[in-house]
Amino acid sequence: MDSHPSFAPSGTQMQVPGMLDANLRVRGRVQYAMDAKMPGMLHAKLLRSPHAHARLVSIDASRARALPGVIAVITGPDLADRDDIYPYYGPIFRDQSVLVMDKARFVGDPVAAVAAIDLDTAQAALDLIDVEWEELEPVLSLDDALAASSIVHDEPPRLGQTFADIIVRTEANSNICNHFKLRKGDIEDGFAKADHIFEDVFTSPPVQHVPMETHNCVAWWENGVLRLISATQMPFSVRAQLAEIFKVPQTRVRITVPTLGGGYGAKTYAKVEPVTAVLAQVTGRPVRLHLTREEEFVTITKHGMQIRMKTGVTRDGKIVARHSTCYFNTGAYADIGPRLIKNGGFGTGGPHKIDNVWVDSYAVYTNLAPAGAFRGYGVSQAAWAYESQMDMIADRLGWDPYEFRMKNLLNEGEPVMTGEPMYDAHFKDLLATAAERIGWDANVKAVRHGNKVRGKGLSVIIKASVTPSTSSASVKLNEDGSLQILSSAVEMGQGAETTLSVLGGEVLDLRLDQVSITHPDTDFTPYDQGTSSSRNTYSMGTAVKMAVEDIKQQLFKLASDELEVAIGDLEVFKGRVQVKGVPERSVGYGDLVRKARAGNLLATAVYASNGGLDPETGQGIGSVHWHQAAGAAEVEVDLDTGRIEVLKYHAGVYAGRIANPAQAELQTEGNIAFGLGQALYEEMIYDGGQLQNGNLGDYMIVSIEDMPKQISLDVLERHESHDIHGIGETSLPPCMPAVGNAVFRATGVRILDLPITPEKVLRGLRAIARPQAHGQEIDA
Amino acid sequence: MTAEDTVAGVTARAVDGDGRISITLQVNGREQRIQVRPHHTLLEVLRNELGLTGPREGCGVGMCGACTVLVDGRPVSGCLLPAALAEGHELTTIEGLEGPNGELHPIQQAFVDHTGFQCSYCTPGFILTSKALLAEQPDASRDEARAYLAGNLCRCGSYVKILDSVMDAKERLKG
Repeated sequence: MDSHPSFAPSGTQMQVPGMLDANLRVRGRVQYAMDAKMPGMLHAKLLRSPHAHARLVSIDASRARALPGVIAVITGPDLADRDDIYPYYGPIFRDQSVLVMDKARFVGDPVAAVAAIDLDTAQAALDLIDVEWEELEPVLSLDDALAASSIVHDEPPRLGQTFADIIVRTEANSNICNHFKLRKGDIEDGFAKADHIFEDVFTSPPVQHVPMETHNCVAWWENGVLRLISATQMPFSVRAQLAEIFKVPQTRVRITVPTLGGGYGAKTYAKVEPVTAVLAQVTGRPVRLHLTREEEFVTITKHGMQIRMKTGVTRDGKIVARHSTCYFNTGAYADIGPRLIKNGGFGTGGPHKIDNVWVDSYAVYTNLAPAGAFRGYGVSQAAWAYESQMDMIADRLGWDPYEFRMKNLLNEGEPVMTGEPMYDAHFKDLLATAAERIGWDANVKAVRHGNKVRGKGLSVIIKASVTPSTSSASVKLNEDGSLQILSSAVEMGQGAETTLSVLGGEVLDLRLDQVSITHPDTDFTPYDQGTSSSRNTYSMGTAVKMAVEDIKQQLFKLASDELEVAIGDLEVFKGRVQVKGVPERSVGYGDLVRKARAGNLLATAVYASNGGLDPETGQGIGSVHWHQAAGAAEVEVDLDTGRIEVLKYHAGVYAGRIANPAQAELQTEGNIAFGLGQALYEEMIYDGGQLQNGNLGDYMIVSIEDMPKQISLDVLERHESHDIHGIGETSLPPCMPAVGNAVFRATGVRILDLPITPEKVLRGLRAIARPQAHGQEIDA
Repeated sequence: MTAEDTVAGVTARAVDGDGRISITLQVNGREQRIQVRPHHTLLEVLRNELGLTGPREGCGVGMCGACTVLVDGRPVSGCLLPAALAEGHELTTIEGLEGPNGELHPIQQAFVDHTGFQCSYCTPGFILTSKALLAEQPDASRDEARAYLAGNLCRCGSYVKILDSVMDAKERLKG
């Protein structure tokens, strides 16, 4: 492997590059789903609702069907007439139909689909579909939704079978589609003990994942089997949904997943696959659907959120009670919202030891684009609230925000908000390093040079990984001693395939070129819950290691006969089994496989984590282990324009054991880019339900010039630890409050609603110029 | 489509029954004669007619740089340029950078060595823009590279290692 800097896990012969297929990637030759070409392939386009909320009165596609080159047009009412199709999907509720059947629920809701010989024809056909709508009162905000003068889903949502642990509470004639409750300690008693009580409201807007590769797939039917090549993070979830839609066993749906051009949560659960599969069935030909950037923006988003947070502290700086009311705007269809509100809800407890916590977290339907999983999974919104409020409380009481945090961060063994004891706690180490790297000085709030003023901010967060969850892997050891890993982990840029190859290969002390790994193929690679929730390296990695460990034991058994020694006296070394410390008495893996006449040695392992929360109290096991991160920012604010430049950013994250240093750094740096975008720029702006900035000309994501010139990382490793902590998301949520806190220390302007735009800062500066306090203390 | 149709800046030419005109492109040193519809972009033609999948659509409006093609050595958004307007120019895609046996260009090698990517969807665009940068400014500073590469977006946020790659490539090219 001609790569540098490479990395050698201790005690192995492995040289690990950042990415196994780096060579293909820099040559532009790695193949994404959208690069697949099938003979006779048709191209699909979707006609989308121009209204946020409208009843479908009639739809007539006859003119479109008559257009030369159009092979098929399907509409929602067409699907309603088919007994062989169950036209609904969604991971919790089957509340989304393949195409609009009764009413459109957001601007962009697909109502008809065209398959044509080329994209030009498919596009032209859209203009020939005549639709009559009856507009309904739209639900455009959380306030609209809670007022319930208009209801997004008239019928109670159909509950699916997907999640055993989901707690669902729906209300009749309401836009609230789920409610998560957490009750820890005695909240009234907690506030009674408080000397100061603060209550603030924080909001985060909907934003979009903007994977550079938009959602796309190719679907075709082959001998009664639905085949798909899809850019999805969850092939097994998509398979289950398609089997349900077409009323066939899961064995008659086969999904393969090439490498993804980014996911960040957007590509979890079925999205473009159902409608494409129906078109393929109707036409009898392969069909590709590839969304435009504008369509991507309304396919799935991060939940807009409002949190009312009330926190009680004693005069000596201990947090004794927190009460949070959280409203997650899940848009027109719930997607995974009903489950995400749990993580976002208990997430408001933060990384602090608080004995009394009360959380009500709601998923709320509106007539905006659906919201679902987004890197951070509700924790970004929660952390924006509690880490902003930490600094607000410190400021109001004249405390150092650093010391205030240190006084309250969880120590080893102290209960987290879901009640289980925190173990492997590193919050304080992470914060101390962050403060040191940013040059934290409690006595210096702002440094002014002319019209520019600088300030620093800190934050610390806690995040769960989905629990319980399941990964399985199969491995084959071949007659030449090479190892094949069959895994459904999706490679989406995080280096999953490289990392799993390392974790599997090192068990047998193989070179990396002796290990290969497949892309997911639901016919051959075993079940995985999905590549999400920063769970892959830990969860799938554990399954792979368990399976290879099984192979190792098989080899030891064979070698014990061959070398006539007890199994306990054997070890692996560079592709051979040897008597411990005696390389002369050894045998190669390939020789053992051949002599056993096994063809190959096989093993499969399942890793399933345990846990879950009590539905009434939210107490139990919230996460198999808790992810921990800190952030520190130094900003410079232009007092004339309100422009904010992030001069310096430090990200600290606890990794347990690092499996791939290059990727660990890349993901952490990527979180900084993601987080600074959400801190400063990103917001989906709606007007009357119409998205105003659904393109990359108007919607700003972070470019190379927006990155701080000084970035430092603290990917904290504990060498004796075998416990790998996912880091794909962990260092993202600290970014927004770290920047917000830095802007406050620099200017005195406290922004409660993301993003922190120059306009808001200028408005805040003007407000400060008038004598008026920001924030208020309630009499305790 | 009729024979009178013109594309901005291009002389009227015959349109076939499928609404296509015949154009000749110089791509990666090879002359390619193809039939395209006048509104088809260079990106569509490279991908769909010539099978070059290195240039990729990211935004469709010239903002992200994932479709970057070098036109006479200068980076251009392939999604904005009608293919017919690319006639008579030297076009280079990422596929044209490597040697005849897939040997990596020094910039490509630098991106491998620093892992200057995650999902790598944007990587061809970054490498081509870097090539133009280092041709124009062989001594480009890190800040100059930041400014030059600002039109290429990487949502994975691999920017630190992209800059490391470009700065290293600069030294290798001087080497």
